[in-house]
This record gives sequence, C-alpha cells and structure tokens, in this order.
Amino acid sequence: MSDTAARPTLADCARTQLRVIGALVIREMHTRFGRHRFGYLTLFFEPLLLAIGVGIIHQLHKGERGVRGSFEMYAIGYVLFMKLRQMIMRAHGTIPSNAALLFHRQVALPDLFFARHLIETAACTGVLFIMTFAGIAMGGEIPDSPIKMLAAAALMFLLAQGLALMVGAATAEWHGIERFIHLLTYLFLPISGLFFMLYWLPPWLQDLAVWVPTVHIFELLRDGQFGEKYWTQYDILYVIKWILVTHLIGLAGLRIVRQRVGLE
Amino acid sequence: MALELIDVHKSYPMNIGRKHVLRGVNASFGRGERVGILGRNGSGKSTLVRILSGVEMPTRGRIRRTMSVSWPIGLAAGFLNALSGQDNCRFIARIYGKPSQDVVDYVESFAELGEYLRMPVGTYSSGMRSRLGLAISLAIEFECFLIDEALSVGDNKFGRAFAARLANAGLILVTHSPSQVRQLCTRAAVMDQGTLTFYEDIDEALATYNSL
Repeated sequence: MSDTAARPTLADCARTQLRVIGALVIREMHTRFGRHRFGYLTLFFEPLLLAIGVGIIHQLHKGERGVRGSFEMYAIGYVLFMKLRQMIMRAHGTIPSNAALLFHRQVALPDLFFARHLIETAACTGVLFIMTFAGIAMGGEIPDSPIKMLAAAALMFLLAQGLALMVGAATAEWHGIERFIHLLTYLFLPISGLFFMLYWLPPWLQDLAVWVPTVHIFELLRDGQFGEKYWTQYDILYVIKWILVTHLIGLAGLRIVRQRVGLE
Repeated sequence: MALELIDVHKSYPMNIGRKHVLRGVNASFGRGERVGILGRNGSGKSTLVRILSGVEMPTRGRIRRTMSVSWPIGLAAGFLNALSGQDNCRFIARIYGKPSQDVVDYVESFAELGEYLRMPVGTYSSGMRSRLGLAISLAIEFECFLIDEALSVGDNKFGRAFAARLANAGLILVTHSPSQVRQLCTRAAVMDQGTLTFYEDIDEALATYNSL
C-alpha cells in the first residue's frame, strides 16, 4: 500500500500542509460566523461573558483562603478550562462537517482539527490578555510572570488538542459516545484544578490530584499570575508526557479512521 | 508523466467478512490521454475513482502518480453546501496554491452561474454544481481531469468550451453513458466485477459494455 509520486521533499509537504491549514482556517471562520463582521465578535464574547460570570459568583462567595482577587483566580483560569472543554466537545463534529473536503487528497484528517484548534487558541489567548488587563484595571497587580501564564496556556492547548484528536477518532468509529464525553467534561470540572490549589488539599488528596495533568497546568498558571505569594508545585514533564501520548493515540486513531470515513 | 495502478485491490469491512470491490486492477494513463471507463452500477467505478484521485488508499497494490490529477469531479464534488460558490472557489484555489482571485474570475466568466456564484452551493441545481466543479478544476489546470458520472456537458456553449479546453489535457471519464465516452475519449475500458479491461477500439469497448 503505497503512493509514489515524483517524491516531494519534506519541505514541499510542509508547505502544502500549511497551505491547507490556512485555507481551512478561513473556511472555518466563514461557516462558523458567516460573512458578517459581528460573527467574529461572538468568538470573544462567549468565553469572556462566561468567565466574568464565574469570577463574579466566586467574588460573592468570598472567604477563599486569602487568594488575592477571586476574579483573577477564577475568571482567568476559567478561560483555559473553556478552551479545553470547547476543543474536546467540538471534536466529534470536525470530521462530519468537513467530509466533503476530503475529496481533495491534500486535505488530511488531522489538518481539520489543527485548523479548528488554531482558531480556538487565537480566541482564548486574546481573551486571556483582555482578562489579565481587566484584572489590573480592577486594582490587581501586574502578573508575576506572563511567560509562565503563556506557557500554561500553550500546555493546555496542546493537551486539549491531543484529547480532541482522540475524541475525533473515537466518535468517527463509534457514533453516540460524544454524549458520554460531554458528561465527562462536566464531571471533570471539579477535579481539573481550576477551583483549588494543591496546597489547600489534605496530603492524601494531593497525592491523588497530582495524577490529573490539568492540575499542574493551573498551578503553573497561578505561579505566573501570583508569583511567590502562594506555594505552587507542578511537573511540566508530566504534562508533556500526557501531550505526547494523547497525540500519538489520536493521530494513530485518525489514521485508522481515514480508511473508513466514506465519501458518500 | 503518467498515472499508473499496479495490481490494486480494495476491500471494505462488512457485517459478514469483507467486500472485495477491486480485485487486481492494472492500468496506465499517459499524459494527455483521454480515457473512458464504463461500468454498471456497483461494478466498483466510484471506488476506482477515489483510488485514482488519491482520496482513498488501496488495500493492496501500488499507485504511481507523476502528473497532477484533479479531485473526482462530479455531483458530490467536494464543496461545502453552506459556503457560497465563490468561497468554495477560494478554498479550493488556496489548497492547490493558486491565486484565489484568478480562480474566482475565471469561474465567473466560464461557469455561467451569474449571481448564484455568491449564493450557498446548497441552493444549486445539479447542473450548476457540475459546472462550478468543472470550471474550478479548469482554472487550476490539472494535467489530468478525473470526472465521475452524471456530467451535464451538453452541446451548449459551456459544453463546447469545456471540450475545447480538454483538447490539450488528459481526461479519465468514469461513466455509464456510452455517448459521452464516444464524444470525449480516445480510448476506453470496461469495469466489471472488480477488474478493468482496456480496449484500443472504442466500439469494441462499447460492445462489451452493452453485452454486460
């Protein structure tokens, strides 16, 4: 089973793939938001409003063990969680809604996912900036290390991408499990690390929580936001292992699925 | 410069065992050749088209593609229904690395779609869809056009322009309509029960096909 042409170089392939992903990004923007400028704004406002809502609720609850500014704590963290959830929840529709484009042989299944994820990431990074400035404007301090915050955002993006590739492959093979995955993303919220810091937990629970990769990402984010004011602990290598394994399984799954996804 | 299939097999998993659609297809299409492939429904034509275009991989066997081959142009032509004809043009132009405005201009002058070019492809009639697909593929200038079924190139202005344009390009036309093969092709093959047989003489191919 092989397909030989006048052997294109790796650079040719990379160029083609970038071209395809670029075209897919533009196409995705068109179908998702129409050709009206207003549509692009919803991309920002949806996570922004949700994040502000969560921030306000926690502000009202008060007494959260002295963490400066619940808004900064929860609203900014929530943007990262939203990115994870949205990328995973949208994954099952990625292949069906683009099936017609598979008629063009340079369009590969992972490209469909990469294009969507780029849009999602661009939006979330934009919102992350806006929220951070909003926090400063509301009297908070300037983040201790923006680089660490961006690193946390990048790790969350890559982890979400690996999981989304897996979900995309799995739902193409077994229809209907996406409902189950929606449920899981909700159940995951309390253990994700968004609502707690590791050192708040009793030791036995800490030992369990460090198995969850997003806990490390949120700890890194808070290290970047609050610096040494709070005690954070994270293992970036552990998160990277998760990223590599999920990508590997996801890409392999898509390769298997590619044989089956029919062009009707 | 050619497109070659070497002992290509394709089977799909079914509820009970596998369905063997292609059982050892050998073929060679030279540059500029215009070949018609005739086959009854269910003979494996569509599978062959998808393999020729590179959209699907064979279960066994090899494909050697040393010229640019179009996507399978036909009714289900690789468009997104929600996008306008124009946006579909742009998308396809981008993935093939052509300036998108040139492709849109060409399609506008050639496909006779008028204002429909700015309407969603989902609102098109089947004739309009195939004109759009053909016009885009002509704008991209493939060395070999791969055309699947139900192609309404009649003897109108569009049909004549299309035939003229094909005069210096290759064509693989997969169809169950003998008249189109006679009109456009110089060589023909018959697809039957998963194998492909070539005939140097079109009349011989048509006779075989009619006796199936």
